[in-house]
Amino acid sequence: MIDTTQAFFAQLAERGYEPLLHSVTGTIRWDIEDAGSWFVAVNNGSLTVSRDTVGADCALACSREDFDRMVVGKQNPTTLFMQGKMKITGNLGLAQMFQRLFPDESLFGTAQGKKERQ
Amino acid sequence: MSDRTISVLEGNNFVVSDLRGDIDASPTEPLGLFAWDTRFLSRWLLTVDGQRPNVLSTDDLDYFYVQFFLVPGTGTIYVDADLSIIRKRAVGNGFHEDLTILNHKDQPVELKVRIEAAADFVDLFEVKDKLTKKGECYQRIESDRLVLGYRRETFVRETLITASAKTDIDEHGLSFAVHIEPHGEWTTCLEVVAGLGGLGEYHEEATYGHGDRRARPNVKMSLDKLGEAVPRLSCDWPSLQVTYRRSLIDLAALRFYPMVLPGQALPAAGLPWFMTLFGRDSIITSYQALPFGSRLAVTTLLVLAQRQGTRIDDFRDEEPGKILHEQRFGEMTAFEERPHSPYYGAADVTPLFLILLDEVERWTGNAELVRQLEMEARAALTWIDKYGDRNGDGYVEYDRRNKETGLENQCWKDSWNSIQFADGTISRLPRATCEIQGYVYDAKRRCARLARQLWNDPALAEQLEKEAAELKRRFNQDYWLEDREFFALAIDGDGRKVDSLTSNIGHLLWSGIVEDDKAEAVVRHLMGEKLFSGWGVRTMAEGEGGYNPIGYHVGTVWPHDNSFIAMGLRRYGYREEAAQIAMGMLEAATYFKGRLPEAFAGYPRELTGFPVEYPTACSPQAWASGAPLLLLRAILGLEPVGDHLLVDPALPAMLGQIELLDIPGRWGRVDAFGRGRVDTSAMEDSRQSGKGKDETQ
Repeated sequence: MIDTTQAFFAQLAERGYEPLLHSVTGTIRWDIEDAGSWFVAVNNGSLTVSRDTVGADCALACSREDFDRMVVGKQNPTTLFMQGKMKITGNLGLAQMFQRLFPDESLFGTAQGKKERQ
Repeated sequence: MSDRTISVLEGNNFVVSDLRGDIDASPTEPLGLFAWDTRFLSRWLLTVDGQRPNVLSTDDLDYFYVQFFLVPGTGTIYVDADLSIIRKRAVGNGFHEDLTILNHKDQPVELKVRIEAAADFVDLFEVKDKLTKKGECYQRIESDRLVLGYRRETFVRETLITASAKTDIDEHGLSFAVHIEPHGEWTTCLEVVAGLGGLGEYHEEATYGHGDRRARPNVKMSLDKLGEAVPRLSCDWPSLQVTYRRSLIDLAALRFYPMVLPGQALPAAGLPWFMTLFGRDSIITSYQALPFGSRLAVTTLLVLAQRQGTRIDDFRDEEPGKILHEQRFGEMTAFEERPHSPYYGAADVTPLFLILLDEVERWTGNAELVRQLEMEARAALTWIDKYGDRNGDGYVEYDRRNKETGLENQCWKDSWNSIQFADGTISRLPRATCEIQGYVYDAKRRCARLARQLWNDPALAEQLEKEAAELKRRFNQDYWLEDREFFALAIDGDGRKVDSLTSNIGHLLWSGIVEDDKAEAVVRHLMGEKLFSGWGVRTMAEGEGGYNPIGYHVGTVWPHDNSFIAMGLRRYGYREEAAQIAMGMLEAATYFKGRLPEAFAGYPRELTGFPVEYPTACSPQAWASGAPLLLLRAILGLEPVGDHLLVDPALPAMLGQIELLDIPGRWGRVDAFGRGRVDTSAMEDSRQSGKGKDETQ
């Protein structure tokens, strides 16, 4: 079985550049329960992914299950945060921009996404 | 808001109480402490010896600060009191209240003072729609504080209540055994903090401290400045100064501080239901305020760009490049029972975003901002053609992806019945309302300029100009109602022209999409007695099937609408008509102590003699507060031309002399002077007569 969490970060590292983050610079730490921490450094859209501890501008923490749901576009990060299931400390603007790195729900079928919500 | 309630606010925190300062919410009285779209206190009752006090007076000195002067209640009729009770309340992260009791007797007194407190944690949507809670409320007494809480799974909201004086805390409030010496006083601070568990916004204290009206350093509070020096106005007609000052104060009050851009503010839409980020309202208000300061506009553009749509999401009506409609923070949004996280259901906001971007550059010369937002602007242009124009007919039309909780109408007239035929039947979705086509035309022309001058992309500039010219040509053909001589309100899902006469045609003048030979007929309708009430232009003309002088978007008069119509009239050279609309609005404002409401009834002026406020209008409301500012711009004829500010006044005679000093912009600061020469009272009698034009942009 594919490890969704690992696969997401590996894919992010391969991506190298994300135009939607062209005006974003900062380091985001992800603390994922039962999976550990990842560090994503964004420099005007250029992405570097690492597991070595570095200083971060914001830290996001959630369960592995919720993270994996975001990774496949089935969970909206904003509402996960609003429900109290994802903790964010530090620069909220930066955390918000990270949403753009999660895939489009429509890629996985909107009907399915809608069903999940109900 | 009712005369029996008083509201104080800061950001998206506000307290609505009765004139005693008490909160006793009921389904019909939406009182409470509200923060982040949630009611954190639904009950806050003061009693002294078991009696609720009587009011002597209430002073709301600042938008965030109020004082209540009370005397003990006798339960019967008023008798000379020998005690005074003073409550001073400052709102911010909850509120801080100083409660003081003065004993005027020669004898000491023993009193039982009590504050009853409760919180229902309803979402603002629930207050409006009267829904029931899904989670559990709880109360907890900690060593020195009362915690009122609500939990639904991991969603937690808590209200923390503390007092500085010795108190007995129980689950329903705080009791004080008070002893006051002859001619002495007793005082306590009460601090109520609105806590959002896990949102990184769990404040431990309210913004204001004991006896402290001044801000703690984390809050940028300036009463009459929008964080910058605004121009000074003087005028022979003193009411204009009152209105001007009121507008600036209300815009300062309605500032919303987004979590994502610390320390920066943008306009929220209006009190009490709309203290949140609205794409349309924030853009329009920022545009109105531009001659007086640009910071709101810059923040609005940055925040909206950050939340620009990047994906297709049916539930949120999100599409790549689309600018958001509304963001909410309450429970129903969190659990996706409402789509506002954020919701993108608006078809006009994306072109308006582009218009504001260009307008900010015209006023401020902030080329850096235009370059920074180039990608977002291009994405917005792509949205217009790819997603806005859903059927490829060259017009932007809207339909909702979210059929359950999405908005039926995605233009500024967003009530369900706003887009109807002259015979009163409702048009079918998808709808392409006329003013959106005007905005698209204007947005493309403006972006052509930005592409040529700042993005170094002349090919894009040429393409946009070509598209805009073609849109204008086709629009003037397809929307024109030959028999009635005005533009259709919309083209509906069946391809039919929605033939009601509405104020939307005024926005077409503002955007410049109207061909010169059609302008005179449009102006004749706007100033004719079917649309013009004597105070302003009605949203829908008298005589149309759907007309109702107290229908939200089908007959009422909206100040912001009129401010854009006045700008449109100026654009096509109808100076006197613009002055007349401005004067009608400014005179209406005098009946509201300078604060124009969101909307007022469309009754003819000669029938009522005064403007009748729409029953549930928001007040203050941001774009109504911005309306006098844009009207001032219209009558002073303020227009940036390169690095200069053109001043070309056409002022109502009633205003006399006007001076507006230190207008900020890329020119530094300049002054505008004018003397009123347009006799608006004479025009009342000859409203039907069309005027010649003497300038066109």
